[in-house]
Amino acid sequence: MTASTETLHLQHADHQAHAGAEGWRRWLCATNHKDIGTLYLWFSFTMFVLGGVMALGIRAELFKPGLQFWQPELFNQLTTLHGIIMVFGAIMPAFTGLANWMLPLMLGAPDMAFARMNNWSFWLLPPAAALLVISLFVPGGAPAGGWTLYPPLSIQAGMGMDLAIFAIHLLGLSSIMGSINIVTTVLNMRAPGMTLLKMPMFAWTSLVTAYLLIAVAPVLAGAVTMLLTDRHFGTNFFKAAGGGDPVLFQHIFWFFGHPEVYIMALPAFGIVSQILPTFSRKPLFGYVSMVYAVCSIAILSFMVWAHHMFAVGLPATAQLFFMFMTMLIAVPTGVKVFNWIATMWEGEMSFETPMLFAIGFVCLFTVGGFSGLVLSIAPIDIQMTDTYYVVAHFHYVLVAGALFSLFGATYYWLPKWSGYMYNERLGKLHFWWSMIWFNVTFFPMHFLGLAGMPRRIPDYPLQFTDFNSVASIGAFCFGLGQLLFLYNVISTIRGGVGKAPAKPWEGAHTLEWEVASPAPHHTWESPPDEALVKKGLRAQSLEHDHE
Amino acid sequence: MNAVAQGNRRIAIRLGLVAALMFSFGYVLVPFYDVLCKALGLDQARPEFATATATALRLEFDTNVAAGLPVTIETLDRVVAAKAGGIVKARFRIANTSGEALTIRAIPSFAPVRAAGLLQKLECFCFDALKLAAHETRDVTVVLVVAQTLPEELGAATLSYTLQPA
Repeated sequence: MTASTETLHLQHADHQAHAGAEGWRRWLCATNHKDIGTLYLWFSFTMFVLGGVMALGIRAELFKPGLQFWQPELFNQLTTLHGIIMVFGAIMPAFTGLANWMLPLMLGAPDMAFARMNNWSFWLLPPAAALLVISLFVPGGAPAGGWTLYPPLSIQAGMGMDLAIFAIHLLGLSSIMGSINIVTTVLNMRAPGMTLLKMPMFAWTSLVTAYLLIAVAPVLAGAVTMLLTDRHFGTNFFKAAGGGDPVLFQHIFWFFGHPEVYIMALPAFGIVSQILPTFSRKPLFGYVSMVYAVCSIAILSFMVWAHHMFAVGLPATAQLFFMFMTMLIAVPTGVKVFNWIATMWEGEMSFETPMLFAIGFVCLFTVGGFSGLVLSIAPIDIQMTDTYYVVAHFHYVLVAGALFSLFGATYYWLPKWSGYMYNERLGKLHFWWSMIWFNVTFFPMHFLGLAGMPRRIPDYPLQFTDFNSVASIGAFCFGLGQLLFLYNVISTIRGGVGKAPAKPWEGAHTLEWEVASPAPHHTWESPPDEALVKKGLRAQSLEHDHE
Repeated sequence: MNAVAQGNRRIAIRLGLVAALMFSFGYVLVPFYDVLCKALGLDQARPEFATATATALRLEFDTNVAAGLPVTIETLDRVVAAKAGGIVKARFRIANTSGEALTIRAIPSFAPVRAAGLLQKLECFCFDALKLAAHETRDVTVVLVVAQTLPEELGAATLSYTLQPA
């Protein structure tokens, strides 16, 4: 054990003497970044289960043609809530939770910059989730016009829409505050010697993601506020009868919505860029090009929004502009995939669970990227809009992309969080189970979409039956398999397969592995000394000795 | 307050300002798109496109109520001149004469049928199921975009709405 971790233990014991509140008050009044990170992660897992149960409701109905379980109204509410809950409740808070837990540890900071605001950012989430769930039980039911909330449906919908709008306001506020915290922590609280271009990639992607959120979450808040005033206060932003324009909503929504896609993808890139070098026992290939790629993806994401709207009748010039800008994103994304592969190239690879999920991510995210390229071509997109091809595409990038990276991150850092090792056999089983059933679920959707099956329908023509049945079986197996993950995490927290050392992965060189496992309640109260920082940077090839 | 905390505050205030600006930016997009569409000539549905000399079409609105439905419908703009490239708005007054809440739907039809291609419905009360409370009276609208060129020989068109129980 190094001297620094010894000191940390002493600090830890010292702090327990005057530790804050215990029991439920510890969580309600949490200001410690680790406690808040834990709250975020459990919240997002709960939302993942809730959204997942809704997905299974959708797949049960689609197992065969005809209406078996739900009336179309409820089916539409399920698809809408599934989308909103997974995007705003499961994936985004999970990444914020990881950033909370890991950024101070990785950067050598004692905590996030604004501990009390951090508490508020988290505690806005459960009321927002409650509003979404309550909307199912009000007259008229939950919003049913899709997670994109397009008017005129969202203007005509019942009071469930008002609850959803308020929920989105809360979620947006939470994201903005969380992002301000992340940007400030990264910019102002790094250990001495760690310049911006020597930060771990996860810190870089979190920083860029937080900037994106600060830029676009308020735009969404504006869009839903306009919806609200159109609904109740006589404005006519989107109401054609009063001179408004429903297509305007789509422009404003996707100005938020496309960067949002990268908000859910960039942190995943960061996680994978931590895991791959660790288990390849090689520094990340092309660190600086990775940083530039992340930044260019973020900037380009503001110039491509109308590719979600090719079918609304844009002029040819606009279609061409948005088509070419969209294709351009393939360049920095290609750089990233190339660098990940080059990182593994000739590395001493080993295949622990985090590594499996990272490799699974690279393979399947690339498949999703390719279907994205297909959809970026305007004439093809007009044919594919609102079909299952689109559903297949975004589940490849969001499930096999964002979700797989989150599983990988959990297995990777769980020893640091809990102090125990997880069951490797069970982890690997979870990976292979998810990998197989994910593809069984979503790959047939490409074919369904090409054959013309529209999305968001509870019933379908007979010729789509076989692929839908396959997808439904896959979805139920995939869903059930996640219980393995839950079981593995809980049993790890309760002792797992034994105590974890401070650095369970010998190929890892970032600062979080320099503190004890489990990470003490307070870490880096005095910043890590420059020699320790430099040692890690040299191992990552980010610091070179100049003789 | 130490230097780090001061730096943190400064960054947070700046970021908060950016967030506030971006909220306003969402609203700025509204007039911005209007200007952009006019400048590029994208907006096909501007009343000023319909000049005084534009060909006009006599539009008549007709209404019916299904037998036994305790509802009345009155046409507030019975005859309208639809100018090529213009927008037409017609209002109707629907009243529930019964003491019970009703859900009704309006079924539209065109005569002659080819007028349907020349008059696009931007907004119509016939798109939605209408829930009327007991004895409620409500004004509803139809907004139509008229094609930029109208055939000379087509002098008039009739749009008819029949109220049915939903």
